[in-house]
Order: sequence, then C-alpha cells, then structure tokens
Amino acid sequence: MASYNHDTIRDLIDGRLPWQSTRSIMSQYKDDDRFFKYIDILQERVTFNDPILLPIGEHLYIVAKQGEPQGERVVKCGCSYEFGHYTRNWKLKAMINVRDDEEEIAEIYPGRHSYDPDWMEIREFICPGCATLLEVEAAAPGYPIVFDFLPDLETFYRDWLGRELPKESK
Amino acid sequence: MTDASENETMTIKEQLLEYDRRFRETGCYAGITELKYREDDPLRYESLHTKLRSMTISAREMARSISASPGVREVGEMVVALYTPEGDAISLSTGIMVHVHTMSRFIKWMIQNGYEESPGICPGDIFANNDAFIGTVQVPDVMVVVPIFHDDELVGWAGTVAHELEVGGITPGGDVYLAQERFTEGLFVTAEKVGFNDELRRDYLIRLERNLRMPIYWMFDDKAKVAANLELRDQVKELIDDVGLDYYKRATREFIEEGRRAQLSRVKQLMVPGRYRGHTFYGHLTEGKPGILPLSDGNLLYSIPLELEVRGDGQMHLDFDGTGSWGYHSMNCTPAGMDGGLFVTLTQSMNYEGKVNDGAWLATDMNLPSGTWTNPDRHTVATATSWALLLPAFGIFQRLLSRGFVSRGFKEEAFVGQVNSPMVEMGGQSQYGDQFGMALFECSAAGSGALGIKDGIDTGYVGWNPESDMGNMEVWEQGIPMLYLGRSITADSGGPGRHRGGTSFTSTWLVHNTDELTIATSEHSSRVFDNAGMCGGYPAPTAHRHFTVRDSNIQQMVEERKPLPHELGSDPHMSDMERLVEGDKNVIEGPHIDKPLQSGDLFAHSYNGGGGYGDPIERDPLDIARDVENGYVTAEIAERTHAVVLDHDEERDTWRVDEEATVARRKEIRGSRLSKAVPVEDWIESERDRVLERDFVDEVRKMYQDTMGISSRFAEEFREFWRLPEDFAM
Ligand SMILES: [Zn+2]
Repeated sequence: MASYNHDTIRDLIDGRLPWQSTRSIMSQYKDDDRFFKYIDILQERVTFNDPILLPIGEHLYIVAKQGEPQGERVVKCGCSYEFGHYTRNWKLKAMINVRDDEEEIAEIYPGRHSYDPDWMEIREFICPGCATLLEVEAAAPGYPIVFDFLPDLETFYRDWLGRELPKESK
Repeated sequence: MTDASENETMTIKEQLLEYDRRFRETGCYAGITELKYREDDPLRYESLHTKLRSMTISAREMARSISASPGVREVGEMVVALYTPEGDAISLSTGIMVHVHTMSRFIKWMIQNGYEESPGICPGDIFANNDAFIGTVQVPDVMVVVPIFHDDELVGWAGTVAHELEVGGITPGGDVYLAQERFTEGLFVTAEKVGFNDELRRDYLIRLERNLRMPIYWMFDDKAKVAANLELRDQVKELIDDVGLDYYKRATREFIEEGRRAQLSRVKQLMVPGRYRGHTFYGHLTEGKPGILPLSDGNLLYSIPLELEVRGDGQMHLDFDGTGSWGYHSMNCTPAGMDGGLFVTLTQSMNYEGKVNDGAWLATDMNLPSGTWTNPDRHTVATATSWALLLPAFGIFQRLLSRGFVSRGFKEEAFVGQVNSPMVEMGGQSQYGDQFGMALFECSAAGSGALGIKDGIDTGYVGWNPESDMGNMEVWEQGIPMLYLGRSITADSGGPGRHRGGTSFTSTWLVHNTDELTIATSEHSSRVFDNAGMCGGYPAPTAHRHFTVRDSNIQQMVEERKPLPHELGSDPHMSDMERLVEGDKNVIEGPHIDKPLQSGDLFAHSYNGGGGYGDPIERDPLDIARDVENGYVTAEIAERTHAVVLDHDEERDTWRVDEEATVARRKEIRGSRLSKAVPVEDWIESERDRVLERDFVDEVRKMYQDTMGISSRFAEEFREFWRLPEDFAM
C-alpha cells in the first residue's frame, strides 16, 4: 500500500510537488494513512493549539476546544476566529459582502462577463478575524444561505478511522 | 449460491427479475456474496477483464474510422460497452461513458416489455433507441445494440452509442434547442428492431434518409455502430469458447459485484460520512425570440439544490428535492439521463482505476422528485437539450465530493467540477448548395473547474467525455458554410481563485457561400452563472451573449488589407467585431435564435470556463503574471481580483510582478473587505424584509412559487431560514 512522508504530502496539497510526482500519486492506489499526516501538517500552520478534528474547507477546521467548554467541537478559521458549534452553519457568524450592483459586479465580471443582479447575486463569506475569503455563493436573491457540510464525526472516527473521537462535554 | 449457468430454463425476463430479487435479498449484485473466481485464480480473472476492456476499446477505435461524422471521427463522441443478458454493464471503452448506464436502461426496457416474444430477440438482430424515457439522454444520442448468443443462449449484449450531429428537429442540429414538446424534437427510434442478419433494414435507412437534414451522419454512424458491435460480439464469442461459458458468466458478474464493493470502499477511503449541500442556478431566456410556442412563452429561472448523504456503509444518496418543475422547453431530463450524469461523474471522480461498470451505480441512489425537470411525469416532455440542466446539476455533485476529498486530505482529487457550456447547432443551405445540418462539436473543449492543487484545464475538458477534443477547424469547415476567422482563448473566462478555473475559447466566423444559414445555439444559462467555485474561489462567468454583424464590410476590409476581427478581444465592453467592422451589428442575449445569416455576415460564439478554488488573493503572483502574458487573464482582473501589481514592459510585452506593491495591495484588500462587509446576521435581518415584501423580479418569484409548491421540505426550510410566518407564500 502506498504511503508518503510528511514533506511529500505537504508539497502535494500545496500544489508545489513537481507535476510528474503529483500525477504518479494521483494514478496510484491511495495512501490509507493520509488523514492524520494531513492533520499534522495543517496543525503546524494554524495559530491555535486546539486539536483539529476535521478540515471542512480552506482555512476552516472543526476543532476540539482546549478552553472552556472543554472539548467543545467548534469551527475555527486558521487565524483562530471561532464560528461556533460545528452543527450550526459557520457562515451565519461570518462577514458578508454581496455583489448586487453594477459597479461591484464589474470589479470581477466586467462588461460582457457580467450577470443580472435581479436574477443572481454573488455572496462573499469573509472571516472577521483575518479577512480571508472563505466561500463564495452565487445564488438567486432571497435564496437561503447553504449549510455546506455537516459531517458525521462519530461514525467517521469510530467506524472509518478506528480511532476514538475526543469527548465533548455536554 | 446458484450460478448463472443454472438459469438456462428461464426467460431473460425471469432471469432479470430473479437477479433483482437476489440483489434485494443479499445486497450483492445477482446474489453474488463471494468473489469466488477472483479468490481462486486472480490472474485468470483479471486477464478476462483486461481482455474484455481492450475489446471494447479497439471496437470503438475501429468504428471511429468507419464513421462519416466529424463528431465521432474528430472529437470521439462514441462509446462501446458489453452487457450481461439482463443489461448490466460489464466493461466499457473510453469516450462518452455517460451512456453506459443509459444503454443498460434501454436493454432492460426491451426485456421488461416482452421483446423476447415480440418482436423477438434472435441472433443477428439489431435494436436501436434514442428515446430518453426508455434509456438515453437526448434525441441525438442514438444507441444500437446487438444480442450475443452462444449456441441458442443469449449470453450478453454489445452496445454502441454515438452523438448524432443532425436529428431532424424543429431547429437544425443534434441538440434541438427550440423543441418544446416531444413532437418537435426530431426523429425518434423507440426501442426498435432496425435490422436482422447483421444488416440494418433498408426501410429503416430510407426513413433516416427522408427525415433528416443531413442523413449521412446518422446513417453512416449507425453502420459504424453495427460494425463495432459485431466486432465486439465476435471477439467475445471467441473468448467464451476459450474460457468456457460457465466461467465467463460467473466471472463477468463477479466483475460487477466487485465494482459495487470497490465503490463502497472507495467512498470510505476518500470521503467523510455526513450531509453535503450545494446548489446552482440556470437562466433560460425565451422572451422575444422567434419560434417560441405559446405554452413556453416566458423566461425561466431554475434553482438546482443538491443534497448528498454519505452513509456509514459507504452508500451515497443524492437528493434533488427542492428543484423546479419540468417545463415546455428542451432542457428537461429523464431518470435515464440523470443516471448517465451520475455514472459519468462517478467514473471520473472515484472509479478511476479497477472495474468501471454498473457496480458503482448500484452503490449509489438518487431521489429524483416526480414532476421536476429531473423526472418528468409524462413522456411527451422534451429532453432534446437535457445537458443544459444535467451538467450543472452533476457539477454540484463533483463539488460535494470534493468537499469530502479536501476534508479527508486527498486534495489532489478535489475538482471544482465540469462546466455547462453552450453549443452551436446549425442548418440551411450548405457551401455546396445542398441542404445540411450540423452540431458543431468544438464545445467538447471547454475549460474545467479548478483542482484543489492546481488550475483547471484550459480549452480541453467536458464532463460527458473525458477524452474530449475540439476538432480541427479545417475539418469543421468542410461541413459548414462558415470560415473560421479565429479561435482564441477567452480572457477572464475561468473563475478567479488561488487556483483559477480553466479558461475557455471563442470562435469567430465569416459566413461563406450560402444564402441561408440558421444558427440555433443550445445549453446555455443566461443572466446567472451555473459553474460555481469553491472554498473561496469564484464562479466562472457564463458566456451568454452572441455577436453578429449582418451586411458587413468584410469583403472590403479584406481587399484593403485591414485588420480583421479574429476574436472578441480583451476589452469586455467593446468586442473587436463591434470595434473593427461596419454593418448591422447585434448583441444577442441568451441562445442565438434569430433569422438566418448569409454570406458575408459574421458570427461569434464563446464557450464557458470553470469555477475557481480558494481565495484569489492567495494566488501566486508569478502565476498571475504568466496568465496575463499568455492572455488567460486581463491585467485589470489581475490587479482587482487577484490583487497583484504588475509592471508592463511595453517594448518586450512582458509582465513583471512588483512584489512589494503586491504585498501592500493584498493587505489593503483585506482591510477593505472587512470595512465593506457586514455581519451575516445583520444582512439576514435586512434581507428578511425584502423576502417578506416579495421584492423580486417575476422570474425569481415564479421560481420560489414553483419550488415551494413542489417541495414542502424546501418551503419549510425557506420559511425557517428567514423566520417567516407559517402561512407565508411567495
Ligand atoms: Zn480567519
């Protein structure tokens, strides 16, 4: 079974591995020990010490909180900004910029590339802590904000990874 | 467990029902609970699989060189597959793999509908179908299958599909945009016996000849399909003689069960269990266009929400609850088409090695709410351009899978998704003076969505055919009364992101040697973007404008050796056609449905790029300099969206990154983002008033009325999200 070291996986996920090596990894059987190596790499990059349980996007992690309430599974940005419990949509605690007028649209989609703001708007979800653009929605006006991902952490850890999921105090 | 060989006394229909029952009872394909042959002699087993696979591939390659149509010959719009007697796919070639499961539906339909008794299934018979309610995606996808007999026993089917370039519908070409009901979609062949003794019936060929604008494509493609099927059939028969019938029957079923198990274990290996959600939108413009029938008169906005549930056992459940009703337009899709979309996505996202067959499909299920465009409740609904909604729908599926890949650490597999990209269909008088019709298949080379670790593919990918190609301009010019003025990269057509979406291209043509050229484009969203980004990447813009110049002064420009419009150009406000040429200039929003063009007129059409991945201001500035230098991104977008400051050396036409200024600019952007943005909770509060007042344009309001009416779950979630009174209705 394939297995790669820390630096190879780091370069791979950063898109810095030479294409030939990347391609060969993509064509190979997958390395079953990837997940915790990946978590270790991400853990080195974030500004907090709470252990990462699961990444859910770029810069977004479900962590087990070290502070109070201890073990609480919250969503954090890599900059430490906390978005609340993972079972609630993190976007509701973000900042938003909506592009629904000509000038705002033209900044990204000028002229013939534009859309009709009566039919669609671009919603940018921004981290209040570090101003990273975390997610972009293109939606009809009035469409509810999407809750992208609600993982089944218990099943994932217990049945798929064969590891104990750190307890969350109620 | 009973072996397949013990069923010789059963009819195929009984056998099909029996295998379905065993699947329900054991959860394993055909009741195969152990992979006996695989365990006993893996080498023999794998060798059979490899042989069958190479037979399908070589049959396809051979057929491509027989075919008359550039769609098959140049861009490879064809697939060959081998089936069990009950119609389950065992092995398939490369090409338009979307049809592997739709053809399976067609075979099963014939068996379920008593074809064994009438019209009979005999050695040498040839059956054809292009009815999507029986099993295909759309009218141009014409499938031909032949039974494989060993002595007197039906032991399988060989099947081939090609996308036909002309189907004789209300508008010329293959994807009949203006079809608004079944009755205008073109020529239907509904699970018909079209040949015997290995030959197509003469009366069938005469029907094709007299009902199509350009019969040679379909007729010769059908001959190529028959040839591929016979080649595959004869090779399989030889192989059966070699390995023995009992071995063949059991082993090929084990392949499918192995495929099913592999899919479940791959989900567990690459994904994370849980609930994933996403959506996209699609705008359909009809207002003011000629040829729209009274029933379909009106613009439409479709919302396409998708929920994916990944269960603890690796089973995936897709749910399209909350999407809109079918309509009097050509973009509806049948469950067979949706199956095809699912299959082709799975083969590329998860089943990239090992046994690619119907097993993967068995490990996945879908909710296609009745009455929606995904499952129309009457068979007279038009599905001629179902890719229009099907592609964006399964683009969402790819993004949902990719969320799981990113969570799991397999970022190299994350893919922002296939794109929906518009297509040019045409007909009228050819450059040779005859009647003609053509689907210009260069659309098979759109931009792809970005990957989690790199940019999307530029001008080289579509979802339905992973081997896609745009074909040579010179070859297309042989079949259409137009000359290429240019084919060029469309700057800024990929969605911005840390990894940008693949860019697409624009073609410009001079209409040549014809008095009448009708162009009817299909499959494009208007006013909204249907190819989204992810993780901070932006959607790709949708190419929803066509540029024409009638009565142009091009002849004079050529004589005076003036610069010609070879592209739309990098100015998004003024195209080169508008800037350089004199004449009657038009910009047409949405599908090009307009009065015919003639010699000397100009036409430009753009394809779509893919969505981006990650925050664009995290993009490597050097990559942006390279993008600008090569025309993928304009300097304006580089500066505004990616926040890169570039110096232009006008003499050498090179671009250099001003690193210090870029760092400063990116810092400034972060600051201005936060000063412009508002907390989401405040935004919801203010938007709530708008929702309460129903302050939306008609198309948006109608979309909500429709989806809230058809889905009580969506209606409830909508009211809950905006905290609306229980009796709130749009
Ligand atoms: Zn942050």
